[in-house]
Amino acid sequence: MKLKKVRCGILLMVLNLFFILLCLLVLIPIGYAFFLSISSGNSTFQNTLWVKQVTLQNYKAILLEEPFLIWLKNSTILSVGTMGIAMGTSVSAAYAFSRFRFRGREQILKLLLVLNAFPQILSMFAIFRLFKNIHLINSYIGLILIYAGSMCIFGIWNMKGYFDTIPVEIEESAAIDGASPSQVIRKIILPLARPAIIVTAVMVLIFVWNEYLFATTFLMKADSYSLAGGLYQLQSNDYSRNWPIFSAASILTSIPILILFFCIQKYMVSGLTAGGVKG
Amino acid sequence: MKKKIALLLCITMTAMGIIGCGNSEESLATKGGSASKQSVVTIWHDGDDSIMQVIENGVNEALESDGILVKFEKKSGLTDQMKLYGNDEANGPDMYLYAHDSLGTFVEMGILAPLTDVIEESDYSDMLPMTIQAGNYKNTQYLLPVYFETLLFLYNKDLWEGEVPSTTEELFSYMESHTDTASGQYALVNQHSTAYNVAPFINGFGGYIINEQSVPGLNDEKTLEAIEYNKKFAALEADGDYNTVNTLFNEGKAAAIIGGPWLIAGIKEAKINYGIKSLSDFTLPNQNALSPYSGVQAIGIMKYAVENKKEALGKVLKEIANPQIGIELALNSGCAPANQISYDYTEVAKDEMIVAMRRTADTAKPMPNVPEMSVMWGPIESLLAAVNKSGQDTKEAASEYQKQAETAIQDMK
Amino acid sequence: MKKKNGTLPWRFSLPSMVLITMIIIFPIAFTLYISFTNMNLYHWDDYRFIGMNNYIRALTKIDSGFLSAIVTTIIWTVLNMVLQIVISFFIALGLNIKGLKLGRLYKTLLMFPWAMPAYISILLWRVGMYNTEYGLLNKFITAIGLPKVEFLSENIPAFFSCMVLNLWMALPFLIMMMDGALQSVDHSYYESAKLDGAGWWARNIYITIPCIWPIIAPAIIMTTFTTFKQFDIIYLLTMQKGSLTGATLNTVITYAYQNAFVSNNYGLSSAVSIVIFGFIIFFSLFINRGIKGENI
Repeated sequence: MKLKKVRCGILLMVLNLFFILLCLLVLIPIGYAFFLSISSGNSTFQNTLWVKQVTLQNYKAILLEEPFLIWLKNSTILSVGTMGIAMGTSVSAAYAFSRFRFRGREQILKLLLVLNAFPQILSMFAIFRLFKNIHLINSYIGLILIYAGSMCIFGIWNMKGYFDTIPVEIEESAAIDGASPSQVIRKIILPLARPAIIVTAVMVLIFVWNEYLFATTFLMKADSYSLAGGLYQLQSNDYSRNWPIFSAASILTSIPILILFFCIQKYMVSGLTAGGVKG
Repeated sequence: MKKKIALLLCITMTAMGIIGCGNSEESLATKGGSASKQSVVTIWHDGDDSIMQVIENGVNEALESDGILVKFEKKSGLTDQMKLYGNDEANGPDMYLYAHDSLGTFVEMGILAPLTDVIEESDYSDMLPMTIQAGNYKNTQYLLPVYFETLLFLYNKDLWEGEVPSTTEELFSYMESHTDTASGQYALVNQHSTAYNVAPFINGFGGYIINEQSVPGLNDEKTLEAIEYNKKFAALEADGDYNTVNTLFNEGKAAAIIGGPWLIAGIKEAKINYGIKSLSDFTLPNQNALSPYSGVQAIGIMKYAVENKKEALGKVLKEIANPQIGIELALNSGCAPANQISYDYTEVAKDEMIVAMRRTADTAKPMPNVPEMSVMWGPIESLLAAVNKSGQDTKEAASEYQKQAETAIQDMK
Repeated sequence: MKKKNGTLPWRFSLPSMVLITMIIIFPIAFTLYISFTNMNLYHWDDYRFIGMNNYIRALTKIDSGFLSAIVTTIIWTVLNMVLQIVISFFIALGLNIKGLKLGRLYKTLLMFPWAMPAYISILLWRVGMYNTEYGLLNKFITAIGLPKVEFLSENIPAFFSCMVLNLWMALPFLIMMMDGALQSVDHSYYESAKLDGAGWWARNIYITIPCIWPIIAPAIIMTTFTTFKQFDIIYLLTMQKGSLTGATLNTVITYAYQNAFVSNNYGLSSAVSIVIFGFIIFFSLFINRGIKGENI
């Protein structure tokens, strides 16, 4: 027993060491951006690994001189809105595809997968035409619909796989107790499939957070850009790019996502294992 | 859990509703307001905001009494945006300010109105001939030039030993004796695989990337000669990436750089004691001067805008053509104005860089503005990269990419 | 469970189907429509039907360049997917070992590449990592006394450089998916397996993988398609206008872009898109086989 404990300890130490190294390795490019962002001057390259003069000037510049906070607000609206619509529509669809056997089910699932493979950049022109006719250009609703539509297939597929693993017996007993299908989704599926739902929601959120092409094409005013779009607009070509400010902005852009990610992790444990229900 | 999700959805929906409505109301309000009080002229650009600010301030000050307000809006990837919004009166701009080389594309799309629809020829007669030529497509003047950009020879006075030579051969032998690639010390750096930066050689040798008849000239005898000649320089010019060459110069690791006026701000910030020489002052072995491309930043007018805002547009354009705007651009932003009269102003005449740009304007060639040029950047730069970076045989690569260019041009129709 | 609830499944999936029709299907139909017209620079508004003309021209583009692009794309997709699945599986396993107190922190840090907009990451790598003169990789290489490496100027090194970047950018997602899936594995299985004397490998092969497969299979399939149509990385790293690196690496998508989309000929490029789409459908028939075993 004692030997096993020692072995466990060594294993954990090796594991910790491995992960520390891995994190360092993964974070090198980001560390590079960080060093750039706290250095003065307008250099693209960081020559030394320590910065001669640490300055928060670049962060100040991006926060005060650019409409960063407005963009942050816009990004939040866009991503939360998209998440709401994309999840709202795809959870029920994923449930339907997972639980019901109806005609065309398998074909539709496969068709969705293939449709998803169509490069989105090619769709832009067509969506533009469509939205122009129904006056959805230059509005958040239009953009949210685009994003939600783009992520919907992903959502359906991703969650359907998980729903399949949830034993149906639980639902059946609920149905016997008189619960309607939508009650079953809300009261049973949602809590049980929490990890999958959270993962999918985060994926949708990050997609919107990082998307810039549609954002800069469908929104017209600098004040209505999202973070990624604004950043793209601000520093789009080599000749006008101020690297330190650009790096500062990109780091600031990723931080909300990381905080969110850190916070949701404790919810990612499935209700299935926690509840001890067996299939 | 259920309540939380429902609440979240509710909040989202309301937020979206409010914002959606807010947006449409706002845009309606500005439209209604503008009709009664002042007319707003929107100009899209993809350049430096501070330069546009200079123009905007100048024009708005002069036209305040007329009730005209000019608004510059930055649009990255302007060419693509114009394709989507170019005939969309509700969302598109009234005018755009951009480099002249996309002119042919826009004209063929049928979204631009000739300049003379709005102003008289005499209103722009003071502009440098080269800049006027740049805005002319199929014998019609579409663009009002504002300022132009071209390449310069910038050198670090503290590093350069002796006089800057006046022939490219002498320049090359200086480079040979003063470059140590292993330790990262360079005499001259250039974006040697970027078409714009090799153009001085190609034009100087009498070659061409594409001619007026829209025939690509990548395997033209003279173009080949120029590319071959540029290759020996390229070997001593670091890897030719914009960020790299720029930083090398700013850190004092390169004694000279071929670059545009957009580099000056960074060079000043790096406290380099720099000198400027016009590329026109270097002679090639064939006795021609280096002849860079010039990119003329010019204003074009959207067709639909002429229908409704003709008068306002005319006033704005006349104001932009005013030499005073040129002077302010030169002094505040280091842009070389298109208006010749601006150069008579003493403060402008004292500026070393502006004078060098003005000198280069005489030998510089405006970039081709035929629509076919837009598909030439890919093949020519692939050719340069293949020759300079992957060591492919020049002739072989040239005929390969010439073919690619020809196909690309065919594909347009 | 075999439920036959009449219209219920359709009512459940209707909202999403409407959305998908509008955002995904309509554009494809529109592209199909444009592909039969001569919409281009010279016929911007007055385009008309020209029949199969564009398709005939699109098919002439299937030359040796296109074929080698297909080969590159397949190698790219397979190599990337295999590496991604294997690496993310082991990292996720490691993260789920009991007693790893800092697991949450590691997980968050590993997600960082994902939290950055893609074009920023790519620029950062091009300029900060792979740059010949100043890139960190070359700094490191010269520091240990080796000559500078030009990562992006020739095809093979450029391919691997793009692959490393793709792994860097794509792994967080799969790690997260695997991690989520591992959380759902019932621990009692392991207990009984341990009692039966199954070793670590045996437990993973006979319990973990079968348990998580149905959950992660969709994610893997999705990622395969994303990898297949990956454009940004290769394009921005090696062939952006003004900063070509010399590599002539092409996947199907970048090849199509270079050969059809720069020309502003919407008719032709739509035809090319439809041809590629057909190719994707063909490609997915193979994947289809993979799904069958999983019984959707």
